[in-house]
Amino acid sequence: MSPFACAWVPFFAVAAFERAEPALVERPVVVVRGHGAAARVAEASGAAREQGIAPGMTEAEARARCPLIVARAWCDERVASARHALLEAALTVSPRIEDGGPGIVHVDTAGLGRLVGDTRAIVDRLIRQVRAVGLGVCVGVAASRTAARLAAQAGARVTIVPPGGERTFLAAVPLAALELPADVAATFARWGIRTLGELAALPRRSLGDRLGAAGLRAHDVALGLDREPFRVHVPEPYWEEAQGLEWEIAMLEPLLVVIERVLARLCDRLGVVHVSVDGVDLELTLASGATHHRAIALAYPTRDLRLMRALIAVDLEAHPPPSAVVGVTVRARPAVARPTPAGLWQPPAPAHRDLAVLLTRLTEVVGGDNLGAPSLLDSHHPDAFTLRPFVAPAAVATPGAHEDREPEPRVMLRRKQPAAAVEVETTGGRPRAVASDGRWARVLACAGPWRMSGEWWDTRAWARDEWDVLLADTRLCRLAHDRLADHWQLIGVYD
Amino acid sequence: MRTSAIVASGTITELVGRASSGRTSVFISCLRDVTARGALAAVVDTDHVFDPVGAGRAGVELSRVLWVRCGHRLDRALRAVDLLVRCPGFALVGLDTGDVTPRLALGTAYRLKLAVRRTGTALVVVSGHRVVGSGATLAFAACRRDVAWTGPRPAPSRLEAVETALEVLRARTPVAELRPGAVHRVTLRA
Repeated sequence: MSPFACAWVPFFAVAAFERAEPALVERPVVVVRGHGAAARVAEASGAAREQGIAPGMTEAEARARCPLIVARAWCDERVASARHALLEAALTVSPRIEDGGPGIVHVDTAGLGRLVGDTRAIVDRLIRQVRAVGLGVCVGVAASRTAARLAAQAGARVTIVPPGGERTFLAAVPLAALELPADVAATFARWGIRTLGELAALPRRSLGDRLGAAGLRAHDVALGLDREPFRVHVPEPYWEEAQGLEWEIAMLEPLLVVIERVLARLCDRLGVVHVSVDGVDLELTLASGATHHRAIALAYPTRDLRLMRALIAVDLEAHPPPSAVVGVTVRARPAVARPTPAGLWQPPAPAHRDLAVLLTRLTEVVGGDNLGAPSLLDSHHPDAFTLRPFVAPAAVATPGAHEDREPEPRVMLRRKQPAAAVEVETTGGRPRAVASDGRWARVLACAGPWRMSGEWWDTRAWARDEWDVLLADTRLCRLAHDRLADHWQLIGVYD
Repeated sequence: MRTSAIVASGTITELVGRASSGRTSVFISCLRDVTARGALAAVVDTDHVFDPVGAGRAGVELSRVLWVRCGHRLDRALRAVDLLVRCPGFALVGLDTGDVTPRLALGTAYRLKLAVRRTGTALVVVSGHRVVGSGATLAFAACRRDVAWTGPRPAPSRLEAVETALEVLRARTPVAELRPGAVHRVTLRA
């Protein structure tokens, strides 16, 4: 099996634009740098080249040759996104890949035979993965990276050079396939060298004497040798897709169409590597030059395009950009996978998705203010608590949870929310009878008072005496005498 | 009897009794045991009677408790319970129906019974009287027996403990100590 495969995307800059705008496929497309009369073609598609258009022409000359061409201004972000997408797709085939430049990636196929299959199966998988991220690709397979790259650029969709056949294959490749320095290429042309086979037949020592390092490098390429070591590409977290706009968008609906396309590309990339995200950062470049940032948190890790698009739409309706938009950038925050349950001996917890759905439905039933995890506040006030959004915490057992001896149960209070006003008869300052709901009940026993106060430095000052009372109607209650307002309240019933 | 015996996975348990009978304290004790071992629990509170401050002092891990306040609406409480018992992952769901509660329809009780059996959740219903009927695997009636005060006589200054008797009304379980008619005394410390 040949150890190296090379994936080559022809006319890469154009392919990056076609990836973003699929309607451009099959149309003559040029990517231009510069503006106005100085605009020159940086890259042309295959259909445009058939019309005689080549890189370096002015845009006016290209339009003169083909009035139907579609011109797009160069966008670094778009090309960079496509380049990263190509590398990520190749990484799903082999962990050892090399970035060979824009539109070129070398894949080390050694050891993939038992995992994927024969050479043809590896090539098919590579093509399938690259197509999944929106790029068309040609693949060459050979014993060296140089030969594999030249095989990929030979013109066919798939070119597999059999082991030991590299010299034979390269012999017919035209010298123009090498990107030689202009002076070296001119020298070879003057010598009548037109193919790599003719170049490889030249004596190496004499070639080095006449052309120096450039000549030796060209000779190595003609022999199909790799001069540089294999530099393994280590992917950096780059979950970003961007699209520059040639026109300004001031309305939300057309802007969402653009955002959806950018998101779709991002979701395709996430899908290829099976990564979900728990947050999306949206950056809109405004016509004024400023940027409009929005951070959208997702309730659970996902790569669901429709869900993210809907959340962004809702967020932008609430926080629209202050002026027209000329660029869209979407970044994703990959989620850290959390196992459920958290440990072998820990009880299971709801899955993130199930919990998010449950909380949403409960919110519909009882309202968002009546739902959450209670949290105590740093106060001496008996009602000092609040509700925080419920998030399943990591399941870590409390020390002593599995002890054989259970702690004794505590007597609990059923609170009245809000505290009910009651009438109280007192004797010597101690409750003697209590009237709630118009019915009087004699106090059989009571304990207190427990004097409490707080926030005396503020307008919310409170001060009260609390009593535990046993009533003749069998209720065991807690009463409070508000010392500031001088009235009694039923705090709750012990139960 | 260990209060943890009241919470059985995949079953419905009823805790009934009059005001001040001790049913809420027993339920909070179950809640403490469940959250202490790292599991999640939910409290569906029909009448807003749950006391988070007291529960926190009793040892309940409040961050593992989902508190659902239903605004004195039993229909909301039942809908919330129906959603909670269908979500796998909650070890305990407590439903406090308030003091005046009509008996649940047979279909509702049977629906809850099937749901908890499927997800393995323990549903504990705290109410004034039995409302689930034959859908409950365990049913306990709480009755206060004694109140202990402490402090210098003749006027006590502090509530010390409440002693409660838990009588087993219904038990569809082979556990011997939970046979119907058995009475278990529980001391609730203040």
